[in-house]
Amino acid sequence: MAPKPHIEVENLEVSFGAVPAVRGVSFTVTHGEQLTLLGPSGCGKTTTLRAIAGLEKPVAGEIRIDGAPIYSAARNINVPAEKRGLSMVFQSYAIWPHMSVFDNVAYGLRVRREEAAAIRNKVIQALALVQMQAFADRRASQLSGGQQQRVALARAFVFQPSVLLFDEPLSNLDAKLRADMRIELRDLQHRLGITSIYVTHDLEEALAMSDHIVVMRDGLVEQTGTPDDIYRLPRSAFVADFIGSANLVHGRNRRDLATHGLLALETPGGQVIYGNAYGRSAGDELTVSVRTVHLQISPQRPAGERNVWPARVEKTVFQGDFTQVHILWGDQRLIARCAALDPLPAGQEVFISVDPKRVVLLGA
Amino acid sequence: MAHNKHGHITRRALLKAGVALPLVGIAAPNVLSQPLSKSPSTVLDFQTNADVAKAEQEGQLVFYCHENEAGTAGIMQGFNKDFPKIKTSYVRAQTGALYSKILAERQAGRFDVDVLQLSDLAPAFDFQKKGGYEHYESPESGAYKQDNLSTPKGYFFWTGVDPAGIAYNAEKVTGSDAPKGWKDILDPRWKGKISCKISASGLQFVQWYMLRKLYGDGFWQEFAKLQPHAFDSRVQLFDRLSKGDDTITAIGEYPAYILFKSRGAKVEFVAPADGLVATPLVVGAVNKAPHPEVAKLFVDWAMSKRGQAWYQTNPNLYYASVRTDAPPMPTGVSLTQFKLLYPQDWDDYSKQSATFLKEWNGMLGL
Amino acid sequence: MERHARAVSAAASSTESVSAQKIAGYGVATVAAVLVLYPVFYLLQAALDVGDPQTRPPTAYGLDNFEALLNYPQIMLNTLSVSFAATLMALVIGFIMAWILTRTNVPGRLVFEQLMAVPYYLTPLLGALAWSMLGSPESGFLNQFWRALGGSGHVIDINTPYGIAWVMALFEGSVAFVMIGAVMKSMDPALEEASQVIGASRLRTMLRVTLPLVIPGVLGAAIFVFAEMLGSFAVALVLGTPNRYYVITTAIYQLIQQYPPRIQVAAAMGTSLFAVMFVMLFIYRRIVTAGSYVTITGKAFRPRVADVGRLRHLLFCVCVLYLVVSVVLPIATLLYASVQKIAVAFPAADNFTLDNFRAAMSMNAAGSALTNSLILAFATATIGIALMGLLAWLIYRSRLPGAGLIEYVVMFPQAVPRLVFAFGMMWAWLAFPIPIYGTLWLLLIAYLTVFLPLGVRTIAGVMLQVDKSLDECAQMCGASWMFRMRTISIPLLVPGLVAAWLLLFIASVRELGASILLMGPHSKVITPSIVESWFGTASELTATLALIQTFVVAAAVAVLVVVTRRVSTHVVN
Repeated sequence: MAPKPHIEVENLEVSFGAVPAVRGVSFTVTHGEQLTLLGPSGCGKTTTLRAIAGLEKPVAGEIRIDGAPIYSAARNINVPAEKRGLSMVFQSYAIWPHMSVFDNVAYGLRVRREEAAAIRNKVIQALALVQMQAFADRRASQLSGGQQQRVALARAFVFQPSVLLFDEPLSNLDAKLRADMRIELRDLQHRLGITSIYVTHDLEEALAMSDHIVVMRDGLVEQTGTPDDIYRLPRSAFVADFIGSANLVHGRNRRDLATHGLLALETPGGQVIYGNAYGRSAGDELTVSVRTVHLQISPQRPAGERNVWPARVEKTVFQGDFTQVHILWGDQRLIARCAALDPLPAGQEVFISVDPKRVVLLGA
Repeated sequence: MAHNKHGHITRRALLKAGVALPLVGIAAPNVLSQPLSKSPSTVLDFQTNADVAKAEQEGQLVFYCHENEAGTAGIMQGFNKDFPKIKTSYVRAQTGALYSKILAERQAGRFDVDVLQLSDLAPAFDFQKKGGYEHYESPESGAYKQDNLSTPKGYFFWTGVDPAGIAYNAEKVTGSDAPKGWKDILDPRWKGKISCKISASGLQFVQWYMLRKLYGDGFWQEFAKLQPHAFDSRVQLFDRLSKGDDTITAIGEYPAYILFKSRGAKVEFVAPADGLVATPLVVGAVNKAPHPEVAKLFVDWAMSKRGQAWYQTNPNLYYASVRTDAPPMPTGVSLTQFKLLYPQDWDDYSKQSATFLKEWNGMLGL
Repeated sequence: MERHARAVSAAASSTESVSAQKIAGYGVATVAAVLVLYPVFYLLQAALDVGDPQTRPPTAYGLDNFEALLNYPQIMLNTLSVSFAATLMALVIGFIMAWILTRTNVPGRLVFEQLMAVPYYLTPLLGALAWSMLGSPESGFLNQFWRALGGSGHVIDINTPYGIAWVMALFEGSVAFVMIGAVMKSMDPALEEASQVIGASRLRTMLRVTLPLVIPGVLGAAIFVFAEMLGSFAVALVLGTPNRYYVITTAIYQLIQQYPPRIQVAAAMGTSLFAVMFVMLFIYRRIVTAGSYVTITGKAFRPRVADVGRLRHLLFCVCVLYLVVSVVLPIATLLYASVQKIAVAFPAADNFTLDNFRAAMSMNAAGSALTNSLILAFATATIGIALMGLLAWLIYRSRLPGAGLIEYVVMFPQAVPRLVFAFGMMWAWLAFPIPIYGTLWLLLIAYLTVFLPLGVRTIAGVMLQVDKSLDECAQMCGASWMFRMRTISIPLLVPGLVAAWLLLFIASVRELGASILLMGPHSKVITPSIVESWFGTASELTATLALIQTFVVAAAVAVLVVVTRRVSTHVVN
C-alpha cells in the first residue's frame, strides 16, 4: 500500500493580478521525504511554495495536509499562514537584526508560550545542531551570511514543525559553502525526519538532496520523479536539457529497422540511431535525447555494430573536470563531454558512439 | 449640564434643561431686557446694572474687535486691570472679516462672543436688525447724545471716533508739494506711492461715501489711476509712511499719527478744510453671550469716564471720545475742534455697501 | 502528526474570520476618508453653490462661480508665472547644491547637508518678513546701503514677482534639494565610470551620461516643487499684497475676509487650483512609480565623489553664501530691526531700544500662541505617527482589498493648497454637532488631515526599506498580526517613526495656511499670529515676535532631537 501522503497539492493556480504564475500544479509529498521544486527562474516554484506556506493566495485548487485542506477554492477555505503549523527558511534568511541569535531562534517557542526553561533547552539544542551554540548571545546582525543561514535553520525547526519549506536557502552563499551546506542540510533533515519541500534552480542541489523532484516550467509541472528517473528518463526536451545537458536528435521512425526491443530513428541526414522507448509511445516522427556525457569519442572506429558513426571535431572547450567537444555529425552539431581526453585538434576526423540504452525516446 | 471649554454652563444647556425660553435663532430679537425695578450699583467709579459678583464668577470675557492686535490687547488690558478676576480673550479681524465670522458662527449655532466692537455703523445696524445685540441699557448712557447711541437705545454705543485726514512723509514731501485738501491726493505725482485701506475697513467705506458725495463719482476713478497700495490697519500705513515705502497716505488716522509722531517718525498730518472723515467705533453686548454679566459689565465700563479715559489715552488706541463730559485728547486737541464728515443718512450709506465693495476691490485688482 | 491534523482542521473550519488586521485596517481607512473627504465635499458644494450665499444648505447649483473666475485672469496668470519662476529658481539652486554636496569633495559636506534643512524650518513667512525689510525699494536695508554707497534709486525691489519667486525658492525650495540629492545618490557610479573608461571627458560624461540619467528624477522633483509653489501663501501675502500683486491663495484669503465674504468665488478659485495640482501630481506619480522603493539590502550605491582640486574652496564659498542668504541674513536683519524704534539701515544712537522685546513678551502671541503651538505640535506628532503608521502599513504592506484606493484618499490633501483645504474644513466642522470649532481640537484635526501625505510617505519610505520577509518569517513561526506588530514591525520601525515624529512636530509648528483660517480666540498658534502681528503692529514689533518664537521653537526642537536620538538608539539595542 502506498504511504499516506503528508502534503497534497491539487490543481493549484496562482495569479498576480492578470498574470498567471502557477497554472495548474499537482504533486504529493510523503512523510519524512524531501521534495524539490526545480526549474528556471519564473517557472512558479517559489510562488507554489509560498502558496503552500500561506503567503500567497491562490485562485484555484486545493492544498491538504494530512488529508485536511488548508486551502480550498471550492470549499472557500484559506487558513492564515500563522495557523498552518508549517515552518520556512527564506532565501534572504530574514534574521531579525534587532534581536540576539538566541531571541531569533526562541521566537517560535515564545509564540507558542512555552516555559522559559524549556525554551532555553530547546534553543541551545537547536543551535548545537547547527554548530552555532557559541553565538547565542551575539547580536544577529553581526553574523556572516553562512552563520545567518544556520541560525535561520535552527529557528525554523526548533519548535518541531512537521513540515519545513525551503525557499532557495543556499543561493546567496558562495559555491564552496553551498556544496558543504547542502550535505549538512540533507543530514539534518534525515536526522529530524521532517517532511521538506525545497525550492531551487540549482540542478546539483536538487539531485543531491531530494527524494523526489518536480520539474516546473512556465507555471506547469514538466515531470515528477526520483532524481535518478528524471536524469535517466527525461520525458521532454526541456527536462532532458535542463537536467544535465543533452543532445536532441529528431527523425523518422524506421520501424523496419527496429530490432532487439530497440527502436530505430533515421535523421534527415541519413544516419540511423538506435535507442530505447522505455514504455513511451513511438509515433512516426521521433525525438531522442542523448546525454553529452554518454557520447563516446575515439580516434579509431570502436567495436560494435550499432550507433557508431564518423564525425568531425569542430572545437574543444576545456572545463577542468571535463572537456566539452563540439562535433559535426552529418549536418547536425552535437556536444560531447569527456573526462581526461587527449587533445583533439579542430577538424580532426573521429568516431563517435553511444550505447543504445542511453538513447532515450522523449514523449508522454 | 453641558459645559463649554471653560467649565461654565452654557446658555444652550440652560435652555435645554427646560428653562422655558423660545429657542430663536438669528431671525427674531431676544427679549431679555433688565427689569426696570433693578437699580444700578456702583463699582469702582462707575454705575452698572450688571451683577458684578456673578460677572466675576463667570470669570471670562470673549471680545471680538476690529482693532489691530496691539489695540485690541490694549482694550483688554484696561478692562483686566480694573477687574483682574475676569480673564480676557479676543479675536481681531478687520470689520468686514469680523462681521462675516460672527454671522457664520451664529448661523451654525455657535454663540461664543460676549462683546462686539466694529468700526462701521452699517454692519452694526445689520446686526441689530438680526437680533444679534443684547438689549441692555447702561446707566452710563446718560452721558451720551442720542446721535451716539443706537435707536432705540440699549443695543450699541459709540465708544469713540476715529478721524482721518491726510498724512505724508515729511522728508519726501516738502513745501508747496504738501497736500492741503482732499483733492490734492489725486495729484498724478503720487502714482505708485500712495496708500489706503482695504475694502473690509469701516473707515474706508465712510471715506469713499463722503468724498464721493462731496466731489462726485469721478473722484475715486481718478484715485484709482494712482494705483494705490491697500492695507489692513493704520499701523501698517504709518509704518510704511515713516520709512518712506509710501510717500503719502490718503487715509491717515489721527490716532496713528499721534503714536508714530511720538516715536520720532517724520510724518505730518493734514486736516483738510472740508473736514476729516470719521467713523464711529461701536460697541455692544452680544445676544446669547456665554458670559452675559461680564458683557454688561464691560459695556458699562467702556461707556464710563474710566473706560473712555483708557480708550482715549492708550497709545495703541487714542480714540476720540464722544462722551459729553470727555476731556480733550492727549495732544490737547478736542474732538469738537475738528470738522467731522459723517454720513447723515445711515440707511443710504448701508445700501451703498455693495457698490463700494465692487468699486474698491476692482480698484485694487481683486 | 495527529496533533497537527487536529490543529489545522480546527483552524480550517473557521474560514477567514474577521481578524484584528481587518478591524485596524478598515478602521483607520475610514478615519482617513472622513478627514479628507468631508471638507472636500463642502468645498465643492460651496464652489457649485449659485444660490444666496447666506443660506445653507445651498439652494441652487451651477457653474456660474467658475465662469466668474474668468473675471480674474490676472490672478491666474500671476499664480502660474510666479510659481513657474520660483520652481525654476528652486531647481537651479537645488541642483547646484545637490551636485556640490553629493558629487564633489567640498569640505564639510555632511554639515552642510544638515544645514540645508534650516531655511525650511525657518518658514517662508520669516524669510518674507526679513527680505521685505532687506529689499523694499524705499526702506529696504540693502537699498539704503546702496544709496549710502552713492547709488540712486534702488538695487533690488523685493515686491516684484521676481522678488516673490526668489524668496519662495529660497525657503520653500529645499524640497528640491532633497529630491535631486536623493536622485544623485541613487545613481550607480559604474554608469559614469563606464563612460570615462571609454575616454569621454568629465564634461561630456556629465552631459551625455549623468544628465540624462538624472533628468527623470529632476523632472519629478520639478513637478512636485511646482505643486508646492502653487499653494504658497505666506510669501505672496507679505511681499505681493502691498504691491497689488495677488495670487490665488492670497486672493482667496482677501475674498473671504470681506463682508459679505465672496465664499463661492473663493471656493471656485480653490477648486480650480486643485484641479491643476491634481493633474501635476498625476503626472508626477507616473514619472516616479517607474522606480521601486526597496533598497536592496546591503547594496547601497556609494556615489563617486569627484576631486575638484582647488575648485573646492570656491564651492565651499558657494555653500556658505547660500546659507548666509537664506539663514544668516534674514535672522540678522530681524534682529537688527527688533532693537530699533523705527528700523533703518543706519540708525542714530537714540533709535535703539529694548521696548519691542518688552511689548512682545506681553502680547498674546508670545505667551499663549507659543504654548498652544508646542502642545498642538506634540499632539499632532504623537497621534500622527500612530494614524499614519497604520495607514502606511495598510496601503503598502497589508493585502486587504481596497487598500490601493486609500492611497489616493491619503495623498489627496497634497493636491489642495492648505488654505483651500482649511476653507472647506471651516464649513465642514462649523456645522458639526460636537463643538470643536474654534478650539485646538479643530486645529489638531486640520493638521492631521493636511499632513497625511507627508507622514504616510515618510513612514512608508522607512517601512518599505524593511524587507517583508522579516514579517513573513514571523508569520511562519506562528505569530499573530498583533504579536508581529509588537515584536517585529514596530521595533524595526522605531528609528523611522522617531524621524517621522520630529518631522510632523516641525511641520505642525510652522503651519500657516490652514491655521490662519481655523484659529479661534482660545486657539491662537504661532505662525498665523506672526501674520496678524504683521497686519496690525509696527514691523519692528513683528520682527521681535518672529525672532522670539523662532528661537523658542528651535530650542524645543534641539531638545527633542537629543531626546529622540537617545530613544531610538536605546530601543534598537
